[in-house]
Amino acid sequence: MNSLSDGPKAEAITVVLVEDDAPTLWRLQDALAKAGYQVRAAGTLTEARACLAQGAPKVLLTDLQLPDGHGVDLIRETRQRFPDTEIMVISILGDEESVISAITVGATGYLLKDAFPTDIAATVRDLVAGHSPISASIARFIVRRTQSTPEPPPGPALNTAKLTPREIDILWGIAKGFSYAEIASHLGLSRQTVPGHIKSIYRKLEVHTRGEAVFEAVQQGLIKL
Amino acid sequence: MNDHGDDVQPELPGRERRRLRWSGLIQYLLLQAVIAAAGVLALLQSLPGPPAQYQLTAFQLTEAGIERAVALPYFSPLRNAMNDPPRFSGKFVRPAGEASRAWSVFLPRFTNGVEVTVNDVVILDSRRDPAANRPDRNTPVIAVIPASVLRDGDNAISIRLFIWGPITGFLDRIWVGPDELLRPTYDLRTLIFVTLPVVFSSWQAILAVILGIMWVMRRHEPAYGVLAAAMAVGVGQAFLQTPMGETPFSKLNVILISSAPIESGLVLTFALLFSGWKWQRYAWIIFIPGIVLALAGLFGSQALVRALFLILAVPMVGVSLLIMAVVTARSALQRQNVASFLLGCAVTIMLTCWIVDLLSVFQMMPNRIFTARLSYSAMLVAIGAGLTWRFARALNQVDGFAGRLVTQVREAEEKLKASFAREEERARAAALARERTRLMRDLHDGLGGQLVSIVALSERGNGSAEISDAARAALKDLRLVIDSMDDIGGDLMLALGSWRERAMAQLRPHDIALDWRAVTAQGLPVYPELRPWHVIQIVRLLDEAVTNAAKHADARCITVRIETLAGANGLKRGRITVEDDGKGFEIAPDGGAAGATKAARGLRNMRNRAARCGAELQLSSCAQGTHKGTRVRLTLPHRFPDSDGAVG
Repeated sequence: MNSLSDGPKAEAITVVLVEDDAPTLWRLQDALAKAGYQVRAAGTLTEARACLAQGAPKVLLTDLQLPDGHGVDLIRETRQRFPDTEIMVISILGDEESVISAITVGATGYLLKDAFPTDIAATVRDLVAGHSPISASIARFIVRRTQSTPEPPPGPALNTAKLTPREIDILWGIAKGFSYAEIASHLGLSRQTVPGHIKSIYRKLEVHTRGEAVFEAVQQGLIKL
Repeated sequence: MNDHGDDVQPELPGRERRRLRWSGLIQYLLLQAVIAAAGVLALLQSLPGPPAQYQLTAFQLTEAGIERAVALPYFSPLRNAMNDPPRFSGKFVRPAGEASRAWSVFLPRFTNGVEVTVNDVVILDSRRDPAANRPDRNTPVIAVIPASVLRDGDNAISIRLFIWGPITGFLDRIWVGPDELLRPTYDLRTLIFVTLPVVFSSWQAILAVILGIMWVMRRHEPAYGVLAAAMAVGVGQAFLQTPMGETPFSKLNVILISSAPIESGLVLTFALLFSGWKWQRYAWIIFIPGIVLALAGLFGSQALVRALFLILAVPMVGVSLLIMAVVTARSALQRQNVASFLLGCAVTIMLTCWIVDLLSVFQMMPNRIFTARLSYSAMLVAIGAGLTWRFARALNQVDGFAGRLVTQVREAEEKLKASFAREEERARAAALARERTRLMRDLHDGLGGQLVSIVALSERGNGSAEISDAARAALKDLRLVIDSMDDIGGDLMLALGSWRERAMAQLRPHDIALDWRAVTAQGLPVYPELRPWHVIQIVRLLDEAVTNAAKHADARCITVRIETLAGANGLKRGRITVEDDGKGFEIAPDGGAAGATKAARGLRNMRNRAARCGAELQLSSCAQGTHKGTRVRLTLPHRFPDSDGAVG
């Protein structure tokens, strides 16, 4: 376990970073450490669980493909144990295949592995500040799922039934590349309320418990009782 | 018969409908009145006769032992006078010099039979002619007087009038004169009262066969069977004639008398069924007069039959005609049915003739020409015309049905084709999505991870910044390829949304602002024909423009303007403009960049990409001044091309 708790500010925000590719881990760790975050790094699922055993971090950044398991399990566990921890996926391509499945267990957005250090720090800062970033392609994936199609589209299961028309409108705006300000003015909202809506979207897409997951699956016709 | 393809009248308010019905009824009644009046007028016309000088009217009549002078035409009060018939004695003069010409006796009309004697020689006995024996026919007779019997000057003529009912005896005026002068009138009467009925009876026979076949083929329409039976009875009545006197067939002869009520009963049944009436058990009363008459003929005397004929058959015919007039009028008015209308007109004609005949039986007419039977031909014509009309209409309906069927089949085919195309499209999209998912997983696990490692390693000092940039560019391109394979439903804005994020990430380290302006609310129009390769071309073109601005132009701000241009023809085109505030470059006359070959290749690439998508690319650049910078204006087509063959 690579515990790097020798950052400049001991009282700083704690970030648990889980990434199995060593160069990428170092690069992300560097970027976050330089920005003043207290980073606990892990290369495997086991190490990550050990890190989390030390206490609730403010932020969990995790890759999905880990040598001894899947990041989705880690996210689900963290979400249940530490509801206040902000969780983000580390993704190579930012593809919805992996990101959506992480969102349904409680992740909020993703961080690209090749992002510039300044962008990495900014993303985490925004996340801690309560802003939930959502990319155009993820927004697009979600809104395409809200459109009724005769057969379920390929890709991970996603229940969009709880989204309100306003939230769907916001997602359309994001998918089409509009800024929060533009979306707010189009929809007659205050610009400051848009991040709150996005946070709400993330929470609504989340499947909280195993029972709820079964219920949702039945609702969507994935399971026949 | 309820399933007639009657034209359904459009729903109208009650008052309007009532008004229409009344006006229709009045029109119909007026027309029938005109027909009846025309019939009466025609019947009142007397047929042309031979020259009046040869007409004999003054006779001495010996009747029941009493002799008196009478003038023809004469109505005898007797109903039966076979053994002691009334005898008319008269004389005529043949002028001298007429011996070379044949002379004839012409009796245009009599009831029931005559025996003509000239100079005590019998020259004519009508009783041997079955057609002449029938009181309902107006059969004329003519006989050439043998030359040896005639003499110049006065000649004696006597006529015995045989009467056997059922009506009283009658003898019209007679003519005695040169055969050549009398013959044309005789021929005319024969044509009208003998030949024509035979022709109509033949027509009736044909109708009987046609209707019989129709009924056999369409057993659910009993009206045709009934009418076929009526026609058959009529034909039998017309052609089965037996001579007078006691023969083995005389019983048959009296049965034939019952044909009139039976036939009228059958025709009435037909008219009722044809107008949509359902057969009821009590309707058998229609045939009671005919059956009673036939039974009377079989078991009773001839005198009884003839007495019954007057009180059963004649009223039966009249009542049938009256009921038919009402029924056909209703049918013609309610269903706008041409066949019913024709039948109604025919019934009016027959009814008129029947009334006139009745008047002449009761001697209220100056003559005794019966036309009811003849007017039956009008009914036959109406039936024939109605049948043909129905047949033609049925054919038209079949044609229309076939046409409708063809149209429906074509529509169904088109729908099927469309749904097939939709299904294909859906299958294609699903296959694309599956392929994309598979590719993404592959790239994610392999190439993507390695490129990320390259970025990380080169940043840690193991490589140069160029390697890092190149690896990042490769990752960016990878994301673009995967992104453009997504089904965006023809909304290019969805692709541009992702591109904006990538471009901003790319420009942020260079400290270049990206000003994103959607000028029209919807951004770009939706292109249903948009394919992933179009998206790749457009996004790469925009990438090129942004990269040029970032790398070569030394720009501080890049503006992306997205708008929809409304064409004059209502067709919409999208336009994307990328503008920078950099130093610009000189554009060679051929549209390429002057100077640097690398820049020139970049511009050529952009032009190629635009051409492949059918888009127009406009480049303008200005090195100095307030509007300095480069502007790339991409005007999208109305419709994206299907194939990638626009430019090599």
